[in-house]
Amino acid sequence: MPPLKLAAILIASVALQLSLRAVWPPLVYIDFPLVVIVYIALQREAWQALVVATLAGVIVDAQSGALIGASGFSKTLTAYVIYFAATKVNLENPLLRIPVLAAATVLDSLVYVFVHRLLSQPPSAPVVQTISYKLIATTVVGTLLLYLIDSLVAERSAQRRQFATRRRVARRSTGPLRRR
Amino acid sequence: MASVRTQKEIRQRAPLWLVSLLIINCVIMGVDARDPDGQQKVVRVWTQLFASPLQNASSKASGATSNFFQQIWNFRSTAHENEQLKQRLSELEAQLNTARQAEAENERLQALLDLKQQNEIKSVPARVIARDPSVWFNTITINRGSTSGVAVNMPVVTGSGIVGRVITVSPFASQVMLITDEKAGAGAVVGQLGQSGALGSVRGRADLGVSVVEMRYVSGLEKVEVNDTVMTTGQDGIYPPGLNVGRVVDVKNGTATQAHQILIQPGAQLDHLEEVAVLLYRAPQRTPTPQETLPNVEKSGK
Repeated sequence: MPPLKLAAILIASVALQLSLRAVWPPLVYIDFPLVVIVYIALQREAWQALVVATLAGVIVDAQSGALIGASGFSKTLTAYVIYFAATKVNLENPLLRIPVLAAATVLDSLVYVFVHRLLSQPPSAPVVQTISYKLIATTVVGTLLLYLIDSLVAERSAQRRQFATRRRVARRSTGPLRRR
Repeated sequence: MASVRTQKEIRQRAPLWLVSLLIINCVIMGVDARDPDGQQKVVRVWTQLFASPLQNASSKASGATSNFFQQIWNFRSTAHENEQLKQRLSELEAQLNTARQAEAENERLQALLDLKQQNEIKSVPARVIARDPSVWFNTITINRGSTSGVAVNMPVVTGSGIVGRVITVSPFASQVMLITDEKAGAGAVVGQLGQSGALGSVRGRADLGVSVVEMRYVSGLEKVEVNDTVMTTGQDGIYPPGLNVGRVVDVKNGTATQAHQILIQPGAQLDHLEEVAVLLYRAPQRTPTPQETLPNVEKSGK
């Protein structure tokens, strides 16, 4: 992804995260930076995903009562896990993104809470309830957002999908039934 | 082939980037966790400096949006209300004359009271422009910073009770930790200050949310009842004495050896905060303990 687009998406996601709670409090359960990180990791852009994860995490932490770096840590780890999975399994299918996004949300939240507990700074919200709400909100809104980002900025993934479709068609045309 | 090689290189180097970035995050966390309370955190101040104009704008936009929908809703019930209001208008005109006299008297007395309060503790009114961007903590951001005289650890209040304390200050905005946060705390007493011995500490609890806080360490021998008021004692080094904290909503009575378990509903509506005031108050410095004053004791700060 071009650096300019990357910076624009990062700024937009952090800005939404910082300001939307004032508009309607339940919107805080949507983790916008995480959606962007998942998107970049699924594109197999390792360093971009990791750097964006650290930056977004540190900025959001600095504006919250959390330990600075906790969110950066959890998001960086999550970005790598998704990147690693994307290099092993083809996760280009839009439907597969839903479980990936859900898993990323749970992993990110668990690591975040664990890090805070480890450093004797337990969060001020009930863990299971908060993770559940976050899981639902981020997965639902994130799926739509991923689709939106995909249609706006992804040239490479579109090329990759086209290539995969062409290859599938080519395989079908040379399959055993055709040969007969 | 070149692109394949690049991908391979990326795959090989990714774990290195991961480890180095995780180490950077760990270092930042370590520094942040070690920082004693009351000291400014540079990263927080700088991000707040850039984020506050954005949060200000979003806060205004959200206010305008909710007003718009409120007006549409109000329009539906206007006709019915209009009839009722006409009837009431005639009744109220009669009461108006009496009220005017009382108002004039009230203004005079209020002016005297304000003057007295201003002499005691000065305050800076502020607007809440943002809430904590993560779900896990209870902080708010207000639109007053060091240029307005706000400093770290100053108390934030509303007319109905204490809200929290300032934890970060940038030139035009400040971050406030609410009393419902687990890391927050306030020295408090059940009943009137100087008349009651039910002293304790008020702090948030994760499972209680923002509507209730817990009061700890109140002796089981003291008499505490539901609906008793809770006031600050001024012994915590943050809040001045005599401010309203809230009222008792639940008590599990303790014994001679066990403290009461008290739940308090904060006086300030912490989930609907819009305007607050920062008290420009500095608590008197705590006198050092005898151990700290000994000449051969190693100072922890050095």
